[in-house]
Amino acid sequence: MLATSSRRRPLGRTIVHVALVLSVAFGTLAAAGGYWAVVKGPELVRSPYDPAVIAAARTVPRGTIRDRDGETLARNETDANGELYRVYRTPAVSQVVGYASSRYGRAGLELAYDAELSGLAGDPVADALRKFGTDPYDPKDLTLSLSLELQRAAVRALGDHSGAVVMLDPRNGEVLALASTPTYAASELADPATADQTFQALQDANDQPLLPRATLGRYVPGSVFKVVTAIAGLGSGSITPRTTYEQQPTSEEDGLLVSGFRVRDGHHLFTGSRLLDLVGATEVSCNIWYALTGLETGGANLVDYAGRLGFGAPLPFDLPTTISQVTNGSGDAPGGFVDDVELANASYGQAETFVTPLQMALVAGTVANGGELMRPRLVTGITGERGTRTIGPTTVSRVIEGADAAAITEAMTAAVESEWGRRYTTGAKIPGVTTAGKSGTAELGGQGEPHSWFIGFAPAEAPTVAIAVLVEQAGRGAEVAAPIAGDLMGLWLDSTR
Amino acid sequence: MTGAAGRAPATSLPRILGPIRPRPRWVEARLLALAAVTLLVGSVSLRLGVDGQFGLFDARGLGIYLAALALAHVAQVLAGRRSDQVLLPVVGLLGGVSLLLMQRLPQGLVTLGEGESALGLGDVQLIWLVLAIVVITTLATVVRSDAWLRRYKYTWAAVGIALLLLTFVFGADVAGQRLTLRLGPISGQPSELLKVILVVFLAGYLSENRPLLIEQDTRLGPLKLPPLPYLAPMVAMWAIALGIVVIQRDLGAALLFYAVFLALTYAATGRLSLVVIGLVLFVAGSALMANLFEHVRDRIDIWIDPFADPLGAGYQIVQSLHAFARGGLLGTGLGEGLPMVGGRLPIPEVHTDFPLAALGEELGLVGVIAILGLYFVVIQRGLRIGASAADDFRAILATGLALVVGVQAFIIAAGNLKVLPLTGVTLPFVSYGGSSLLANAVVVGLLLAISDRGVEPPPAPSEATGWRRRLRRGSA
Repeated sequence: MLATSSRRRPLGRTIVHVALVLSVAFGTLAAAGGYWAVVKGPELVRSPYDPAVIAAARTVPRGTIRDRDGETLARNETDANGELYRVYRTPAVSQVVGYASSRYGRAGLELAYDAELSGLAGDPVADALRKFGTDPYDPKDLTLSLSLELQRAAVRALGDHSGAVVMLDPRNGEVLALASTPTYAASELADPATADQTFQALQDANDQPLLPRATLGRYVPGSVFKVVTAIAGLGSGSITPRTTYEQQPTSEEDGLLVSGFRVRDGHHLFTGSRLLDLVGATEVSCNIWYALTGLETGGANLVDYAGRLGFGAPLPFDLPTTISQVTNGSGDAPGGFVDDVELANASYGQAETFVTPLQMALVAGTVANGGELMRPRLVTGITGERGTRTIGPTTVSRVIEGADAAAITEAMTAAVESEWGRRYTTGAKIPGVTTAGKSGTAELGGQGEPHSWFIGFAPAEAPTVAIAVLVEQAGRGAEVAAPIAGDLMGLWLDSTR
Repeated sequence: MTGAAGRAPATSLPRILGPIRPRPRWVEARLLALAAVTLLVGSVSLRLGVDGQFGLFDARGLGIYLAALALAHVAQVLAGRRSDQVLLPVVGLLGGVSLLLMQRLPQGLVTLGEGESALGLGDVQLIWLVLAIVVITTLATVVRSDAWLRRYKYTWAAVGIALLLLTFVFGADVAGQRLTLRLGPISGQPSELLKVILVVFLAGYLSENRPLLIEQDTRLGPLKLPPLPYLAPMVAMWAIALGIVVIQRDLGAALLFYAVFLALTYAATGRLSLVVIGLVLFVAGSALMANLFEHVRDRIDIWIDPFADPLGAGYQIVQSLHAFARGGLLGTGLGEGLPMVGGRLPIPEVHTDFPLAALGEELGLVGVIAILGLYFVVIQRGLRIGASAADDFRAILATGLALVVGVQAFIIAAGNLKVLPLTGVTLPFVSYGGSSLLANAVVVGLLLAISDRGVEPPPAPSEATGWRRRLRRGSA
């Protein structure tokens, strides 16, 4: 009706565009709500940072933690103000059970199973029904595969050394002992009366008593890593148990030259110019044979098979673990090695190879279990109002064929039982039981004494226990770690016989 | 009502009392009844959750609120306006949810007065809510002309800038932000009122200059732009937003103003190029701010990974996400959430910054989506009023009013849900706070007033004169 109205385009179309943009924006909000409330929800409500979890900690009794024989490891006490606090059986289990302190948070299983112990987590049905109930909390008791007796013996055996012992049942992955030293008195951290001074003292200590070395410590493995190299070599078909190398005997005196680097050995006094195969090389811990096997196998296969054993990722375990590595992956050669020198050195556990004691126990356990890796487990049962949920064995993967595992078992048995082998694994032999194992002396590049290692299992013909022992900077594997392993495996076999 | 145009001489004064002819509003009545039932059920649920007894949680408070809503309805019926019938029930339901939430939170969060007669959080919020309903009703029944907004757009702009400058200079620093202006006993957050003034000004400016802004006579590379002088407001708006960030440290208000400004510019011109330029300026400004100012950078770092420091910098947002997680799909039920842990609120400032998280805990994902849906209805009604408005001014005004509510709700909800960095704007109609409630009441009141098809028709477009006509002719 007006002249100017022809210039005017209605705004309806652009307003619809604005509405569409807002629809997308609000749709995003709804999706985000769904993500946090439903997708991430179950994880968040069990986090120790959730105020519901924190509130529950003050008033709701936490579940009891027991060992495989029903021995109580952690229970509750009430202080003068009526607030609950935790009491622990012995410092020997502190690195496993951890602590739950009103001031210093949680660690160990107390942290990992916080939601279950405080009763916030249940099965989905119970969670859904809980909001209609009067008592929202159902604290769960944990049953561990750990043996208190064996754990105490392991801590005693390590004595004043810093170190770790991991023992497991290779058939089902049950962890029998997970000792780290030095340890600490978790009860004093959990008791409000002594918490402050205890925590201060622990933080100031030079030897890191709060560090669970068995799962979070990373160490140069030395010769115990040769078992991994053997697994990769046999598994990938690069070698057979009969494989020998012509240059091995001739290199024993002056060392094997790899790209200008000399791989050295110290056993030619015993073997002279004998041509060694898998058994012979393992018996005397021949660096040259294993370096050649590593080169033959190739970096890609070595890293691949190590990965099947658990290297390169956190282990599927009840407690957090540090990642074990074959190489730091900075190189361009297959597998991430820098060159053949690094690969050759890694093949007998030096170079950039770092492992956790738990990882090495899994290596021994895999060989013991005929080449099949079982998921390591600490918690075997979770008991609440609605009964007990049992956590059974699960297979992680078949790493190598049974025949290959048998060949490595034969080699590791020779390393403990044979005349020459005994020199390297003094004291590992369990009287009356065929014992398999491999010692390690991890050189630290001139920084003090080497780490002393031993991994093994027994009885060799039908293994029921596998072990990894690490003693920090204690000297040769044969002298310190091997006898500890022999004693502890013997103790376990005696107690279960 | 076609006779109205002929009868009413062009007057700039609002007609306070027109001929009153009551007109029933059945849709509004039914929706209000539904909202009232919802709130009554909520109140019973809340009582059951808190002390396990059957009954209303705070019968007096809820009764006063529902009575105020009913009176607002009756007043509109008596005024005989043919305005929107959905907005009041929806906003009323949001306000009622707010009332239940504030009654349920620890009452000591806010107190008015001292001693025995001191009012707690729930009662104070009730007072603001009733005042907000009064504002909505007054504007919806009394305003029958928009001339007072249309004519004086530069005056409004001046008022707005004056408010902003006053806050810059005299504002009280609260928690590192300079948002609050105190005049004797009265204090308030001018940015809440400022957003309304901004929309009024933009509606006036954009509707008057729309033909020019649509023209494309300036070329900047591949972009075709309107005459450069008309881009000045865009740059000014950008500068004001940056000023708010720098001086007031109010990222939320800056984001809100800028987003509404861009959306209205697009709605008025249909020119994507302007939006693109606006977004480029936004990104550049954000990058600049993040590089220069620690508080901006901190916000962004916290947003990217609040779980990096769950007990420190990321505490609020992490607790908010935990609240949504505890709520899950269906929520814990009203009154069953976590009000306090060890004598502290799990989420600091829950009543102003995180009401959605509190509702997410107690009403669950379903409740959150319902609340978001209510905002979307407000937006939809507002945009609908805009799209069917009689002229450009009202169209842009209504669109802008709908946007300030919708975008503000989005910004804070997105902050609570870690979709955007957390900024301290309020959740309209739900957060505690008088400034926020009253400003948003003005928005709803104006929307209701201009939704009336019987409102005084817009004046005929004025002929461009002087330099403006020359410019227009020259560009044609």
